[in-house]
Amino acid sequence: MKIFTLTCDRCGTIVAANELEQRRVMKCPGLNCQSVLQFEDLAADEREHFFENRNEYSI
Amino acid sequence: MKGLILAGGRGTRLRPITHTGPKQLVPVANKPVIEYAIEDLREAGITDIGLVLGNKGRETIQETLGDGGSLDVDITYIIQGNPLGLSHAVGCARDFVDGDDFVVYLGDNILKQGIDELVDGFRERDVAAGIALQPVEHPEQFGVADVDESGMITRLVEKPDEPPSDLALIGIYVFSPAVFDVIEDLDPSWRGELEITDAIQSLLEYGHDIDSHVVEGWWKDTGKPEDILEANRLVLDDQTSSTDGTVEVGAEIRGDVDLDESSVIRNGAVVRGPASIGPDSEIGPGTYVGPYTSVGSETTIHGAHLENSVIIGNAEISTDEKIIDSLIGRGVAIGSADGLLPDGHRLVIGEHSDVKL
Ligand SMILES: [Zn+2]
Repeated sequence: MKIFTLTCDRCGTIVAANELEQRRVMKCPGLNCQSVLQFEDLAADEREHFFENRNEYSI
Repeated sequence: MKGLILAGGRGTRLRPITHTGPKQLVPVANKPVIEYAIEDLREAGITDIGLVLGNKGRETIQETLGDGGSLDVDITYIIQGNPLGLSHAVGCARDFVDGDDFVVYLGDNILKQGIDELVDGFRERDVAAGIALQPVEHPEQFGVADVDESGMITRLVEKPDEPPSDLALIGIYVFSPAVFDVIEDLDPSWRGELEITDAIQSLLEYGHDIDSHVVEGWWKDTGKPEDILEANRLVLDDQTSSTDGTVEVGAEIRGDVDLDESSVIRNGAVVRGPASIGPDSEIGPGTYVGPYTSVGSETTIHGAHLENSVIIGNAEISTDEKIIDSLIGRGVAIGSADGLLPDGHRLVIGEHSDVKL
């Protein structure tokens, strides 16, 4: 299973694609970080792979 | 080498304690369980630590540990979100690990002897992974390793009916970055998770060598209340205590008692170690704190008889009953029903509590 993550460029917190997808747009989960992270920030091929195999990323 | 602590579990077996906080912050001898993992990594020379968090309590863990500076480590937080398995948690750390070797440490494990030997063994041998093992009484309840004469692992089996050995995987591993490629090829198991044992088995199938290290001394997974009490007992047994607080004239202390400088043991109280008493707490007159008890911060005890128990903190105990083998959550009040009519216990107890009267 391919695992995609996004790194907040302000605080360095790393967030898994499944978490991003669930919220689409989210405040960075790093404490006191005001950055906004979005699923759309992942590369296009990563998003595509994620959607094609979506059931693997949910529980 | 980097460190990766997995702290994404939901802690359902520790309810109701985990209704209000993550299990990795439950204190053992007045220190959150997860700090033992951080200290073991630091003592093995690993200060660049990734902490994988799930959905539960991730703000609280960040508030408690911050950037790791107070523990002389550098923490990067990795948000796994849904609990998709330990291999998924590891996979989320690929960018953090960035081509290094790394230790994976389950965040609710405590080891007596640390991880130096496991890490040194991995560094000395050209292997893709090193796995900590310990002999257990009921290997059929664990992931079990088959090991050859030189200590190399030949096979892993999950909860086998006929275990090939009594050596269980205890949840501490060293990996080379080769593990990320095998994780990419894994499929979720029947329970919908990417399993760590499947990743290790794949490494073997691809022809990688995997070393083992049998851990001497005790090891405890603190998943259940009785495990917390046992871990507390084991850690207190090894503690070097320092009685910094106030012991009033007429108070009696025997054995190793770690007493925070801001706490007090009043005239007429008896504390028998090994025991630990955290900051801003008061052991009042007529109280007996018996061996293997940890009293957290901002707790007042008047008249009770406590033994082999963990009081997490902010508690007020003013009964003169005997309380033993107990795990008492934050903010709990245990008073006396003496003189109240009709006769009987009076309880306000949260969901999933477990009480024996
Ligand atoms: Zn951030």
